[in-house]
Amino acid sequence: MIAPKFIPVVVKQLWRHRVRSVLTLSGVAIAMFLFIAVQTLQEGVSRSTQAAAGDTTLVVYRANRFCPAASRLPQFYVDRIEKIPGVASAVPVKIVVNNCRASLDVVTFRGVPREDLAGPQGWANKWQLIAGSVAEWEKRSDSALVGETLAARRGFQVGQSFDASGITVTVAGIVRSSEAQDQNVAYVHLDFLQQAAGKGGGLGSVTQFTVRVDDPAKMEAVATAIDDEFRTEADPTMTSPEKAFVAQAGADIVEIVKFTQWLGWGCLAAVLTLVANAIVLSVQDRIKEHAVLQTLGFRSGLIARLIVSEGMLIGLLGGAIGTGIALAVVHFGNFSLSQEGLSIGVRASWSVLAWGLIISAGVGIVAGLVPAWRAGRREIASCFRAV
Amino acid sequence: MTTNNTHSRTLSPAPALIQCRRLTKTYKKGDNTITPLQELDLDVPAGDFLALMGPSGSGKTTLLNLIAGIDRPSGGNLIIGGTDIATLSRSKLADWRSTHVGYVFQLYNLVPVLTAYENVELPLLLHSMSARERHQKVSTALELVGIADRHDHYPRQLSGGQEQRVAIARAIVTDPTIIVGDEPTGDLDQESAQAIMNLMTRLCEDLGKTLIIVTHDAKSAAYAKRTLHLEKGRLVEAADLAARRESTVPQPV
Ligand SMILES: Nc1ncnc2c1ncn2[C@@H]1O[C@H](COP(=O)(O)OP(=O)(O)O)[C@@H](O)[C@H]1O
Ligand SMILES: [Mg+2]
Repeated sequence: MIAPKFIPVVVKQLWRHRVRSVLTLSGVAIAMFLFIAVQTLQEGVSRSTQAAAGDTTLVVYRANRFCPAASRLPQFYVDRIEKIPGVASAVPVKIVVNNCRASLDVVTFRGVPREDLAGPQGWANKWQLIAGSVAEWEKRSDSALVGETLAARRGFQVGQSFDASGITVTVAGIVRSSEAQDQNVAYVHLDFLQQAAGKGGGLGSVTQFTVRVDDPAKMEAVATAIDDEFRTEADPTMTSPEKAFVAQAGADIVEIVKFTQWLGWGCLAAVLTLVANAIVLSVQDRIKEHAVLQTLGFRSGLIARLIVSEGMLIGLLGGAIGTGIALAVVHFGNFSLSQEGLSIGVRASWSVLAWGLIISAGVGIVAGLVPAWRAGRREIASCFRAV
Repeated sequence: MTTNNTHSRTLSPAPALIQCRRLTKTYKKGDNTITPLQELDLDVPAGDFLALMGPSGSGKTTLLNLIAGIDRPSGGNLIIGGTDIATLSRSKLADWRSTHVGYVFQLYNLVPVLTAYENVELPLLLHSMSARERHQKVSTALELVGIADRHDHYPRQLSGGQEQRVAIARAIVTDPTIIVGDEPTGDLDQESAQAIMNLMTRLCEDLGKTLIIVTHDAKSAAYAKRTLHLEKGRLVEAADLAARRESTVPQPV
């Protein structure tokens, strides 16, 4: 926008009104902090709830039940599900949560048969083991493989025992997964969890089946086939794609997060007015100075670009501070919005950082445009006569 | 003198550097029309050092601003170095100023956030040259006005006379065709004013610059090669002026 040789001039102008610049900068930083926090939530929600073309995971739940404590299905359904054409695998899962409501700190146990997790086709194969071992998990019936986010939030170490919902397990390993759900869960042995949960149904009862289909195009057909299979049973099922299931079960969260979008836009508007106000004030202070620059031969356009650069610099600096703090909080906080045992991961991402910087710089530019254009158009001689 | 003129006219009809022809400036104020400059004819040859005098409101600043290209005439022609600057677009005129004009203000008008050095460097930023070349030119200009030892001072740390020296350095650093000053000594004490006028004289005599200054002060005007008087937007002939002086209260000069 401007040649590098002009940058010191721009910086010195901002430095002249240090207090004003710092106040504006802080305002921008706070607004961008909120904007990025909101954006991160939005991103988490869409990642967890919006269907992607390659999705192959279905969740089979007890029809008309939405809480893990209420959804009880006979474990033996698994054999019948696996016989349905298009089903690649079906895993019975027992879910126990220490808090069924929407919360930022939920411990979710998922009980899974040993071979479905640790076997050759097991889920653990697509996870990255950060600490401990899967073999250790196989050996001990009361052991748990803990998702990275949950482990970080609760400070779990390998070998440590912890208790939630009256169930005590020992951490055998900590895993990293690309799925928000895995990141925030403690995987335990199915039979162990069935016994430990006791009143929640006991042996032979599971919360859901996690089904993989062999072709993304068959998701709907397979879901219908599964529900048809159990329609006349005492425990009918309701099968839906995993992300749709998260969107439905976590509807409260999704609604709230969607609403916060407005908060985000409001923050951007605040940045715009803050920077615009600062620029308008500083341009008014410098009418004569800009006339001097024009006298020296600075073109209107160059003066306008110098002023716009001031706006951009304030926006960029404030945005960098606000975005940086927001991402640090998100990163080190390991937040995960959970409802009904499902998690919406809140992750700090490079793309949000980049967007934060681009947007704050862009808003800074927009804020400077009008005063900049006007400053460049002023008649020089009359600027010297005034004042 | 007369022979000399005819001689040069026949041999080398070199036009004057600045040619004002029927130069007019008017302002519309409601139904009223103010005419600060009325059909003014003026030639300023290259290397001239011209002082403009006249009562307040006589159009001195208006004329100077037109010649400096920071104001536009309402009528007539203004040809400087062969270019009719009244016809230039806004940005072309800006470019023209950056190479042809150095402007010295009464109140110096240095940029307060920049050091003396940076103020002088400012007009050079518009020209494509290496940082080293810029440094060279700024140093030379600061040296010339005798303020090199204050290069890292900010305007508020300088006296009026020193500020004006920096402003002159800023005006000459691009090696412009003409240097104009609107009451450049108007805000200075006698001693500083003399120093500034000495400097201006050197610019004309040693560097061959063309200078036009507006001044109220006859002492300052005395440094110029010639003095012109403006009254109500017109040039007043020296003879008329002398006649008028005799007829009115004697003026202290
Ligand atoms: N922008 C303007 N609008 C209206 N009148 C103006 C404007 N600029 C200058 N004038 C008038 O033009 C006349 C000449 O002004 P000026 O050139 O500044 O005189 P001087 O410099 O000789 O004191 C004054 O009467 C002044 O009021
Ligand atoms: Mg004047």
